[in-house]
Amino acid sequence: MNSRIIRAIVRKDLRVVRRSRALMTPLVVLPVLLMIVFPTVFTFLPRMMGGAREAFAEMFRNLPDPVRHQFGEFTEATWIRVVHTQMLAPLMLLVPFMVANVIAADGFAGERERKTLEPLLYTPATDAELFVAKLLAAWIPAIMIAFGGALVYAVIVNVTAWPVMHRVFFPDATWVVMILWMAPAFAALGLAGMLLVSLRVRGMQEATQLGGLFVLPVIALVVGEVRGAVLLGPWMAVVIGTFVWMIAGVLLAIGVKRFKRTTLVGRL
Amino acid sequence: MPVISLDHVVHRYGETVALRDLSLAVEPGEVFSLLGHNGAGKTTTVRIINGLLQPVSGTVRVFGRSPLTEGAEVRRRTAVLTESPTLDDRLTAAETLRAFAEMYDVRPADIDGRVGALLEEFGLAERGTDRVGGFSRGMKQRLGLARALVHDPELLFLDEPTAGLDPMATQQLHATVRTMSRERGRTVVLCTHNLVEAQALSDRVAVLGGGTLLALGTPAELARRIAPRLEVSIEVEPAQTDAAARLIAGLDGLVVSTERAGVIRVAGIGRDRVPDVAARLVAGGMSLYRIEPHEPSLTDAYFALQHGERGLS
Repeated sequence: MNSRIIRAIVRKDLRVVRRSRALMTPLVVLPVLLMIVFPTVFTFLPRMMGGAREAFAEMFRNLPDPVRHQFGEFTEATWIRVVHTQMLAPLMLLVPFMVANVIAADGFAGERERKTLEPLLYTPATDAELFVAKLLAAWIPAIMIAFGGALVYAVIVNVTAWPVMHRVFFPDATWVVMILWMAPAFAALGLAGMLLVSLRVRGMQEATQLGGLFVLPVIALVVGEVRGAVLLGPWMAVVIGTFVWMIAGVLLAIGVKRFKRTTLVGRL
Repeated sequence: MPVISLDHVVHRYGETVALRDLSLAVEPGEVFSLLGHNGAGKTTTVRIINGLLQPVSGTVRVFGRSPLTEGAEVRRRTAVLTESPTLDDRLTAAETLRAFAEMYDVRPADIDGRVGALLEEFGLAERGTDRVGGFSRGMKQRLGLARALVHDPELLFLDEPTAGLDPMATQQLHATVRTMSRERGRTVVLCTHNLVEAQALSDRVAVLGGGTLLALGTPAELARRIAPRLEVSIEVEPAQTDAAARLIAGLDGLVVSTERAGVIRVAGIGRDRVPDVAARLVAGGMSLYRIEPHEPSLTDAYFALQHGERGLS
């Protein structure tokens, strides 16, 4: 593999993404919302609004027993721990998933729609180099945003919760596993899903609509955790992450078989 | 050894036959034109030669290599300017060239100089840092050509290269093609509908119709093969017009008419008989000022071939 060719394609793709307002808007808004706005609001809300405290207490009482028992009595500190380690945690996985998904849609279906794929096919890049470059162009930013966002999230949570917690309580072990193991897996899933969809459709719009369906596992995880069906601890995070890696691996293996110049050119 | 060699190549898209038993060879340093209507198989041929399509049967060799199994090596030495330049609107001109220079493995130390030289050569130096989205079609076409030349390819494919170019830019492109071929020994394959351009630039042309090779040869050869008989204008002393016409009319198979006083037009004459006609006029005491043959053009040959193949449509 020629790493120089791969780097050139990755750089080009990322530059193209950076300059698209339509692509950058969701790539900025979602992480800001999930990693800055949500932790701030959900930490402050019970303390700032009297009525909110009771509402959150009610919400806490309605949590499934296994979740509730894990945290004990409802206090402000309990609430902060529940929100950040249980309720918002799986939502963080949306960020790497969406970033990879959106960039991959632009890199595969978008490039075909703009008719800029053909010149790439005429370059000396092999099918494998093209494939790897397109994957990395979507996966690397997804991981960087996930890691960077997680760091920002941790700082915000600890700072905003300091008056209640009086210590650095975040991230916990589950969160660390989630960010380092599950987030890359979900990015790979978003990427692989979009790759397979993009190989079949002609336009970016179609690709994003169909590729978005791969978000369902994340939604299932969020719902499962809130409903008490899934209790996300460090080991569970390892297991789920491994499972998602395996699905993504299978999808990528199918994708790499179909990602051939001779196939792609037929869809130009 | 030919740069390109196609041997009995067949390609199909589903049930549709795109190329039927196509065999041709392109020699180093020549400008070779692929002519044909839309759907004749020109783009399919270029894609097969570059390893983007796998033919159903037949053998393809480019620089002696198989584009399917050694595609990267082949494409490193080729470049293709597609019909529409297909540039990314969100990149600047310089970024576009730099990205492709890296993809074609141009030495890092050479990239800036090469990019600057190409922007200068194609009149884009002042717009080098502007995004391509703001460029006119002509500018995009020039940038597309610059991109194709960024790694100094040995074999260049130009698909309708002058579409959208103004006369100045067209002239510049023609000069570039001539320089590449005549001075630098590069091979150029031109896919075009522009028959005048093909005649002016090409050493040889292949006429494709419905995926079949209809004719192959130099433009002049094709024209002569299709229209072996000429029309000739003969200028004589105006007072001798009728007498000159009578003298020639006696020769077998010639159709003689008076174009105007002093100019006779002779149709259906073979090239080999032109000296006889001149000798007869001189021997008859005519004052012969000029004999101008009207050579059949590549355009005449092209339409004769296409209509002969498929009938007038």
